[in-house]
Amino acid sequence: MTNHWIDIKNSDAVLIMGSNAAEHHPVSFKWIMRAKDNGATLMHVDPKFSRTSARCDFHVPIRSGTDIAFLGGMINYIIKSGSWFRDYVVNYTNAPFVLADSYDFKDGLFSGYDAATRSYDRSKWAFKRDAEGAPVRDFTLKDERCVFNVMARHYSRYTLENVSRITGVSQENLMKVYKTFCATGKPDKAGTILYAIGWTQHTVGVQNIRASAIIQLLLGNIGVAGGGINALRGEPNVQGSTDHALLYHALPGYHNLPLAQWQTLGEYLKANTPVTHLKDSANWWSNRPKYVTSLLKGWFGDEATPENDFCYGLLPKGEKGADYSYMYVMDKMLHDQMRGGFVFGVNPMNSFPNTNKMRAALDHLDWLVVGELHNSETSDNWRRPGSDPSKQKTEVFLLPSAHRVEKEGTISNSGRWLQWFDKAVEPGGEARNFADMYVPLINKIRELYRTEGGTFPDPLLKMHWTDKYDAAEWTRRINGFFWKDTEVNGKLYKRGQLVPSFVNLKDDGSTSSLNWLYTGSWTEEEGNKSKRRDPSQTEMQARIGIYPNWSWCWPVNRRILYNRASVDLNGKPWNPAKAVIEWKDGKWIGDVPDGPWPPMSDKEKGRQPFIMHTDGAAQLFGPGRLDGPFPEHYEPAETPVETHPFSGQLTSPCYKFHTSEFDTFAKPADPRFPIVLTTYSMTEHWCGGGETRNVPNLLEAEPQLYVEMSHELAREKGIKNGDGVIIESARGTVEAIAMVTIRIRPFEVMGKTVHLIGMPFAYGWTTPDCGDSTNRLTVTAYDPNTTIPETKACCVNIRKADKLTEIA
Amino acid sequence: MDCTRRGFLKMIGAGALCLTLGQFGFDLKEARAYARSLKIEGAKEVTTVCPFCAVCCQVIAHVKDGKLVSTEGDPDFPVNEGSLCAKGAALFTMYTGEHRLTKPLYRAPYSDKWVEKDWEWTLGQIARRVKDARDKDFIQKNEKGQTVNRLETIFSMGTSHASNEECAVIHQAMRGLGVVHIDHQARV
Amino acid sequence: MPKAFLVDTTRCTACRGCQVACKEWHNLPANETKQRGSHQNPPDLNPNNLKIVRFHEHLDDKGNVVWNFFPDQCRHCVTPICVDVADMAVPGAMIQDKATGAVLPTEKCVHLSAEDARAVAHACPYDIPRYDEKTRMLTKCDMCIDRVSAGLLPMCVKTCPTGAMAFGDREEILALAEKRLALAKRSYPKARLLDPADVNVIYLLAEEPEHYHEHAAFV
Repeated sequence: MTNHWIDIKNSDAVLIMGSNAAEHHPVSFKWIMRAKDNGATLMHVDPKFSRTSARCDFHVPIRSGTDIAFLGGMINYIIKSGSWFRDYVVNYTNAPFVLADSYDFKDGLFSGYDAATRSYDRSKWAFKRDAEGAPVRDFTLKDERCVFNVMARHYSRYTLENVSRITGVSQENLMKVYKTFCATGKPDKAGTILYAIGWTQHTVGVQNIRASAIIQLLLGNIGVAGGGINALRGEPNVQGSTDHALLYHALPGYHNLPLAQWQTLGEYLKANTPVTHLKDSANWWSNRPKYVTSLLKGWFGDEATPENDFCYGLLPKGEKGADYSYMYVMDKMLHDQMRGGFVFGVNPMNSFPNTNKMRAALDHLDWLVVGELHNSETSDNWRRPGSDPSKQKTEVFLLPSAHRVEKEGTISNSGRWLQWFDKAVEPGGEARNFADMYVPLINKIRELYRTEGGTFPDPLLKMHWTDKYDAAEWTRRINGFFWKDTEVNGKLYKRGQLVPSFVNLKDDGSTSSLNWLYTGSWTEEEGNKSKRRDPSQTEMQARIGIYPNWSWCWPVNRRILYNRASVDLNGKPWNPAKAVIEWKDGKWIGDVPDGPWPPMSDKEKGRQPFIMHTDGAAQLFGPGRLDGPFPEHYEPAETPVETHPFSGQLTSPCYKFHTSEFDTFAKPADPRFPIVLTTYSMTEHWCGGGETRNVPNLLEAEPQLYVEMSHELAREKGIKNGDGVIIESARGTVEAIAMVTIRIRPFEVMGKTVHLIGMPFAYGWTTPDCGDSTNRLTVTAYDPNTTIPETKACCVNIRKADKLTEIA
Repeated sequence: MDCTRRGFLKMIGAGALCLTLGQFGFDLKEARAYARSLKIEGAKEVTTVCPFCAVCCQVIAHVKDGKLVSTEGDPDFPVNEGSLCAKGAALFTMYTGEHRLTKPLYRAPYSDKWVEKDWEWTLGQIARRVKDARDKDFIQKNEKGQTVNRLETIFSMGTSHASNEECAVIHQAMRGLGVVHIDHQARV
Repeated sequence: MPKAFLVDTTRCTACRGCQVACKEWHNLPANETKQRGSHQNPPDLNPNNLKIVRFHEHLDDKGNVVWNFFPDQCRHCVTPICVDVADMAVPGAMIQDKATGAVLPTEKCVHLSAEDARAVAHACPYDIPRYDEKTRMLTKCDMCIDRVSAGLLPMCVKTCPTGAMAFGDREEILALAEKRLALAKRSYPKARLLDPADVNVIYLLAEEPEHYHEHAAFV
C-alpha cells in the first residue's frame, strides 16, 4: 500500500478492482464504509457480484482479463475530458519528458521486439537527453514526442466502443465509473484504488497495476490522503516477507540478486546504483552501497571487511535472465533437476496452477521437508487420490509448526506498520516456530562441515549466525548495529549499539542492517517501536488518522508514501482539509515527509517528490518493465476470442510459459472450452484453505467446492442449483457443486455471448469429501516481469455430473 | 392452546400480551448463573496478531494457567478497533483443532505411512541430505568461468506466514547454503 | 435499564464474524454441512448456531442485482411470548432478565416435554428457538449475558467490523436506530426499522423484509 488501512476513510471515491475486499480483507470494509459515511462513492469492477459489490454504490461486471482495456479507456477519458490535474502532472510526473526517436509503437508491439526470445530491447524506450545526460523536458507539454502526448495518442484507441466490445462492460457502466472516479482529478479530491491478486495473477499483471498508476498520477491521487494505489495483500506477512525477500530475485531491502556478471561488490554496486543528472532529483537509490554493505556486514559480521569485499564473493550469483521462481522450480523438478527442498507454510499442491503438473513434478524429488500446522496436499502428495505410495520414492519430513499465538516477533501489515506480537502460550506438542527449525538445522550442517569438510563451506562457516534463536535479537539485527564506536549528531554510539536511522548506515563496514527499510524501528532511545501503543496525534494528523505513535512503519515511520506530492511547489497542501504534510515556518509538519529537503520552489535545495525514481518524476512512461513502457491490452493466454479491437497482437508478446506434456493450452476461441473461468477465495477460507479447512467452525460455513454461474448458462447446460458438475479445461477436470446465481451474468464480447464462471481454490483432497484443487484447471502462463501465473483467467467447459467422486 | 406463530399473531390481535414476568413472580437466579461463568475472568491478556490477511488485526489472547481460553479483537488497535472477520473470530478453535500436527513425522521412500520421530533425528537426517546434495551439486564456477557459488538442486518455498525475524533467518540460511531457488506467496 | 441491539443490514458485508464468534464464545461444536447451491451455511439456526447470517438475492425493478444479508438472532422481545408459553408448562423454563432484558432458556427446560418445548419454539414470531433433543434444552441467543453482566459487549457486536451491529441501553439504541435510518434512507428510500417498539434487537433493512428472510419481521 502507498497509504494504509485507516487512510481509506479519507477517500472521495473508492475503486475496488481486482479485489473482493469485503470477502478477503473484511476489516478493510470498516474503513471503506467510513469513506462512504463521509460521502464517498464506492465502486466495484469485478466479474462477479460479491459481498463487496453488495455494499458498493455500484457494481460493474467485467470479463476477467480485460482490465487494461477498461483502464486504458479511463486514461483516454481523463485526457479527452480534461479531468487531469495539470500542476501535478507537469511538475511531478515524466509527462514533460521527451522520448528518443527510437521509441515506437505499431500494431500492439513496441519498438525493439525480438520474436525469437519473446523479449524487448528496452534501450529503444529511452528519453531524449541533453549533452550532460539529463532528460529533455518540455513543461508546456507541446512537444509531440513528450510522454504526455505520446501517451494521449496511445490511449486514443481505447474508445468507449472498443473498450465495451472487449470487456463486456456496457458503455453506460464504463461512463459511470470513469466520471465518478475521474472527478477526483481536482486538488481537493482524492480517489483510492484497492486491488489484490485479481490484478496480479494475469499474464499482464504488472501492467494492470501500471495502468492504475497512470490513472492515479493523472488525477494527482498519489501521495495524498485518501488516495494511492493500495495492494491489499492477502497473506499475513506478505509485506514483510517480500521486504525480507523470500524471493529469488532480490536481497532483503529490494536489491537485485547478484549475477555472475558482477564478480565484485564494486561491479554489483556500479550496475545497481543509479545516477541522475538532474539537480532537483534526490535519487534515493544512490544510497544503495550503504544498504548493501550494511546487509553484508549483518550477514558476515567481523568476517566482512573492506579488503574481502565484505564477503560479497560468498553470496550465490545467478545467471542473467535466469528465472528461479516457483514455476521454474516445479518445471525443473518434473525434469529431474531438483533433489530436494523446503516447503514451509505454503501449499503448492493446491494453490499452484495446473496442479496435475505440480503433483506429478513433486513425485520426482528425492526428499522434501514440509513445515506446517496440518497435513496438507503438499506434505501428503505421495498418497494423493490415484497415487500408489509403493511407487513413490520421495522421503518426506513433516515438521509441526507453531501457531501465531505460540511465538513472538513482528509482522508488517499492508500499510507497512510493524506490529509486535507476544507469545501467549507454549507451542502445542513438539511444534516449533520456523526459526527454531532452521537455526538448529543450519547449525547441524555447519557442524558437519567443521567435522568432515566438504564443498566450499565458507559461506556457512563465516556467517554471523546464532546458536539459539531469539526473536528480539533478530528484530535488532534487522534494525542494525554499529560495528565501531560512531558519533551521530554529537552523540556517541558504541560498537554493538543500534543504528538510529538508515541515514546513518555506511558503506565502510562500520554499520550492519539486515534490511535498511527497517532501520530506526528499534533504537537505543525509544526501544522496540513495534510495541508502541500510543494513539496520540496532532490535530493535523488526527484529521486524516495517521497514528504516528502507534507501532512504527517503514520507511522512517512515513505513513503515506510519496507525500511530497500532496503539496504544491511551495509546500502547501493541495487539500488543506486533509493535509498530509505542510511546509510551515521553515519545516515540515504532519506526516514524516519523503526526505528533509524544502519544497521545490527552493531552486537550490528543493527536491522532486518521487525520490525513489532516478530522475525524481513519477513514471507515466515506464521503461523499466519487460513488456512495454505503456500498458497495452492483450488477451489472457487462453481467450474466448480470436481478435480484439486494439491490435493484431492477440496475447502478450512476452508472457512466459512452459512446454512440458502437462502445459497444454486451449487455442483462441477454442470451441471445446468456450467459457471463461476465474478463481478466487472467500472470507471463510484462506487461500488454498490448508489452515481453514481444519477449523471446523469455518468449514461449517463453507464446506465444499462450488462453481458460481449464471442462470443463462445453467439453462444452456441443463444444470440446476445444487447439482454436481464437472468443469474441464485443456489441463484437467474438477468436480464442484453448482451455485446458480444472478450475481454472475453473461457478457457480450466482440458480438457474441461469453459466459464466465467462478470457483474458489480453497478446497483440497486432504479434507474428506470437500472437493479437490480448482487449480487443476488453471494455466501455466506467467507475467513476464514477475512470473506470477495467470490463475484469474482461463478457458473451460462445464457439464452436469452423473456422479461425484471428490465431493460427498 | 394454539401456540404456533400464526396463533401468536391472533393472540396479539386479541390483546393477550398482558402477561408479564412480574406476574409470575419467579426469581432470576438462573440469569445470574449465566453471568458468573465468564470464562475470561482472571485471564492474562496477551496481544497477538491475526495470522490471516495483511490487515493484520490485533487480537487479545486470554490465557489461564498457561492455556489459551479465548481470543477476541484488540479494541485499542486503531485499525480493527476490536473487530474481526469469520477467520479471525475462529482463532481459538483453530488453535484447539484436532488435526494439528504435534510431532515431527517421517515418510520413508515407498512407504504408505507416517512415522513419528524426534526433532534430533529429524533435523540430523535433513542436515545429512542437504549437505550431501550441496557437496555434490554446488556450482563454484559457471561455464564462462565466473565464480557463482550457487546450489541449484535445492529449493525453498515459503512463507508469508513467517515473522520478519523468521524471514531474515530463512533468507540468510538459504543464501548461506548457496540456494537461488527461493520463492514464496508473493508469487501466487 | 434494558439493553438493545441495532443490526444495520445496510452496513453488513456478511463476513460472518458474528456467526463464528458466537460459536467460539459459546464453545459450540461445528455441524457437518454440505454445499447446496447457497452461501448460507448452516442453512438454518440450530442448537450449535445461535446466530446465522442469511443470504437473499434478487433483481430490483431496474434489473440491478441486490444481495441482502440478515444476521439472524433472537430479538429479545420486550414482552417475550416464548417466556409466557414456556411458563404455562414449566414456570421458569424461559426467563427474562430484568437487568438486561435478555430472554434466556434455563436449566428447567429439561422438564419441558418435547411437545411443549416445540410449542415454545413455534410461538416465536421470528422462528428463533431450536430444541436440542439430546440435551432437551431450548437453544437461542443468550445476549452473551455473561459478557454483558461483566460490562463487555456481546461477542457478535464486538466482532462486527463494519459497524453493522451496536449494543447499548435501549433508549440509546432506539435513538441510534432513528439516526441510522435517516442516513440509510438517503441511499435506500424504502429503508425501515423492524418492530422497534416490540423487540430489543432492532433490524434496519434497506427494503421490504421479504427480500431478507421469511421471518425477519413480525407482520
